Amino acid sequence: MNVHFFNSIPVIPPSKEIFSRLGQVQGITRITAARRAEVERYISEASALVELRGAALRCNIRSDGETVTIASENNPALKSAALANLLDGCAEMVMFAATAGETIVNAIARDVLGSDVTRAVVFDAVASEMTDAGLDWIMRYWNQELRRENKTLTKRRMSAGYGDFLLENQKIFHALLDLNCLGVTITPQYILVPEKSVTGVAGILSVQGE
Amino acid sequence: MLDGATGTELQKRGMPAGVCPEQWCRDNPDVLKSVHAEYVAAGADVIYTATFGANRLKLDQHGITDVAGVNRSLAELAKESAGKKVLVAGDIGPTGSFVEPFGPLAFEEAVSVFKEQVRGLVEARVDLFVIETMIDIQEARAALIAVREVSKAFTMVTMTFEKDGRTLNGTDPVTALITLQSLGADAVGCNCSAGPAQMLEIIKRMRPFAAVPLIAKPNAGMPVLKKGKTVFDMQAAEFGAFAKKFVRSGVGMLGGCCGTTPEHIRVLRRKLSGAAPVPPCRGSLSALSSARAHVILEGVRPLITVGECINPTGKKALQEDLRQGRVTLARSLAQQQVEHGAVVLDVNAGVPGIDEAKTMRKLIAALSLAVNVPLVIDSSTIEVVDAALRLYPGRALINSISAEKAKLERLLPLAARYGAMFIILPLNDREVPETFLERKKVIARIVKAGQRYGYRKSDMVVDGLVMSVSAHPRAALETMKTIRWASQVLGVNTICGLSNVSFGMPERALMNDTLRALLRKNGLSMVIENPLRKKTRPNRYAADVLRAKDKDALRYLAFCRGLQQKPSQPAAAVKKEMVLSPAEKVRRSILDGNREDIAAVIETALHAGIAPEPLVHDIMIPAMSEVGDLFDKKEYFLPQLIASAETMKIAFGRLEPLLRSDSAPKIRERVVILATVQGDIHDIGKNIVALMLRNHGFSVVDLGKDVAAAAILDEIKKHIRPVVGLSALMTTTMVNMKQVIAAAQQEKLSCRFMVGGAVVTRSYAHSLGAEYAADSVEAVRVAQWLSD
Repeated sequence: MNVHFFNSIPVIPPSKEIFSRLGQVQGITRITAARRAEVERYISEASALVELRGAALRCNIRSDGETVTIASENNPALKSAALANLLDGCAEMVMFAATAGETIVNAIARDVLGSDVTRAVVFDAVASEMTDAGLDWIMRYWNQELRRENKTLTKRRMSAGYGDFLLENQKIFHALLDLNCLGVTITPQYILVPEKSVTGVAGILSVQGE
Repeated sequence: MLDGATGTELQKRGMPAGVCPEQWCRDNPDVLKSVHAEYVAAGADVIYTATFGANRLKLDQHGITDVAGVNRSLAELAKESAGKKVLVAGDIGPTGSFVEPFGPLAFEEAVSVFKEQVRGLVEARVDLFVIETMIDIQEARAALIAVREVSKAFTMVTMTFEKDGRTLNGTDPVTALITLQSLGADAVGCNCSAGPAQMLEIIKRMRPFAAVPLIAKPNAGMPVLKKGKTVFDMQAAEFGAFAKKFVRSGVGMLGGCCGTTPEHIRVLRRKLSGAAPVPPCRGSLSALSSARAHVILEGVRPLITVGECINPTGKKALQEDLRQGRVTLARSLAQQQVEHGAVVLDVNAGVPGIDEAKTMRKLIAALSLAVNVPLVIDSSTIEVVDAALRLYPGRALINSISAEKAKLERLLPLAARYGAMFIILPLNDREVPETFLERKKVIARIVKAGQRYGYRKSDMVVDGLVMSVSAHPRAALETMKTIRWASQVLGVNTICGLSNVSFGMPERALMNDTLRALLRKNGLSMVIENPLRKKTRPNRYAADVLRAKDKDALRYLAFCRGLQQKPSQPAAAVKKEMVLSPAEKVRRSILDGNREDIAAVIETALHAGIAPEPLVHDIMIPAMSEVGDLFDKKEYFLPQLIASAETMKIAFGRLEPLLRSDSAPKIRERVVILATVQGDIHDIGKNIVALMLRNHGFSVVDLGKDVAAAAILDEIKKHIRPVVGLSALMTTTMVNMKQVIAAAQQEKLSCRFMVGGAVVTRSYAHSLGAEYAADSVEAVRVAQWLSD
């Protein structure tokens, strides 16, 4: 099992999602042209500071409906019935992670302490949405790779920290994806650092010819 | 007619999942030959070798080291099946790794990996090559360079595009086409991607710009879910219905990818019986590209700005950065120039005493990630240009090639090898020709030399060579003549740097911008300038100097003296003073989040006699409450709320000393202690709450993030009945809120708690004996209620 590293994930800041994350509701929120221009300028500045990188690992799995066991050294197990359900019928899965890097996180921290909080909240939203878009990109990459094998990823992915797929599982992602190589560390509370770092998992399905 | 999918057919014939397909084919040669034979029988003119993944990086995953051997043997099986009439294309697929500067695989390593494969295919005497299913334009370039450095055989390159019409790495079809056809691909197109309908659109986008035949190899539709199984469901008849549409759209080579079968190819063949391949509609294209964008230099279009700022000459900070091996400033300059309208960027790494080639490569890598615009490689050193062109993931413009013997002999073949466009600088070994007629001769000589290397006029850009009018009064006039002749008679693109012209003259911007306008009239297509500089309007006095109609520039100099003596002009459009009272202006500024003007607005209010305390309590705080209501109703979104809060903060900053010396309002005594609990590092929400509370007159003690329970308890003991706000973002850290609250209860501390954070719910808060605040606006209300 080799970890795939992506040194530069090309993602355009998803403007609609960023505005939505900032609380814009279509048809209700009134944004002046000047404010919109300001936010768009911050989005552009933030995207220059986001250094989106990622990692992915394809692995064989076994599932008993409650736990998904990874065929790897020490056979680490991801305990989650919801995950087992997502991976039902899959003999393999892809684990992945994306990080926006330290530069943007440091810029947010600097701004939020007083110099420009408005910019900080926009930077924060951009970093979050771009990191999520980074995971989408990694899934598209794997779908491309898998197409040649007549396989595809499950449409949905899951991340540790949701439902019964506890955040504690993040340490397995961190170790197997060798996230230290991306400069991502994990705290005793299983939080990834830099802050804008996320992990996910999707199953591999076979595509059948007719 | 190209063949269809091989992988699907091998699976149908028993190839199990998870094996190395290349090794399985070697172990089961008859199965592979039967697939090839069926495609030949179906009418394919070209079949692909089963070597898609036969590169060192992929084979290594299966413990196979004989790369050349695998390629040779599989290509030989294809040759045996092809017979005499069908051609065999040596198939080269991606390594699975992204290539420098987009990924960890060094560019030269990628070239070397592909060369190993190419050599094996050459040993088996394949008739042509196909580089396919590429999602990274840089990997496609590496593969194409590898083929070109080993073989002269016809080479096709096909990229794979996503639903959004770009490759996964962000390259659009026209950009890919420009880069690949200029680098020497004999045919370009797309494969895999999606079904034929989507691919048709991609081909249509490429067609007007293609100087080589186009290829389409679509999948049998997109995988769909049927009866719980994911399938490619486009049958041969439906697939074949697209055949003529592809030909009409300009495709010269057609086949199938994932999910297609010999039957799909048979139907295509039948549908196209008697049709001839579609030739490209042009011989060349004047265009530049980066990895993710392109600039077409043909037809009527606005003047193209080439940003000149990434040039360390005379820029100490940039020189120092590059000397230290940093590219931060260059990256920032690139982004700023693009934001200010640069469509192409000139890149020069010439700092005395540094390794210029290494620095140039570093700049190319950094800028290719930072901006999407094409780059101009600006160096007088041939080795630097060589290093840059090899790595640059697009079609670059070389600045420049003169008629100096060494430049002509070495730079032209280099430029041709990478298909770069180049700027013709009308200089020769002896001198800088001053007149148009002398320059014309030099330009003609370079054009002729370029044509010997296969260049066409559309690949060249003539530099008008601007010299200073203070030293050469007819300099601008000769440049105008050169530009007019080059654009209107020679029929090439033209370029000029402007700033030389005004050297030694006053009001240089005026002179430069006037020259731009005059040259534009004469057909100038590109201008090298600083896009960050504010533009001035063309001026008739400057124009007279430039057209050599103002002897010794006397009238211009007089005009400039007049400019310098004039008092500063009042603003052309004086804004009508808004008829608002000073108090209303304060309120409006807070509602609008007007951080820029609030200080002045507060001063006006104070001068108008409004006392600080009513200004805060009767105007500012109600305005902020109004903002909170608008946020609650979602009429405002977060940046508006925060901008208003920051405006309040500035206003408070001005008024606070006056309040203290005045009556020290009681509202300041309400204390809120804020902390993100131990183990948690996410604190932006907590910081926003702090800002909002301060704006509502609370005294906030912000303990920061990852705060231990003991530190929070110690702080509580310092205050009388404080409100304590705790935040946590993660499930693993929200439990620490419980610890803090339990410890405070155990010690019988007099305080009230409110909690919040992404994973915290109202019911969880209540279970802890705390109040809940969903956001900063609610936090203010809860804090007000808890403090009362």
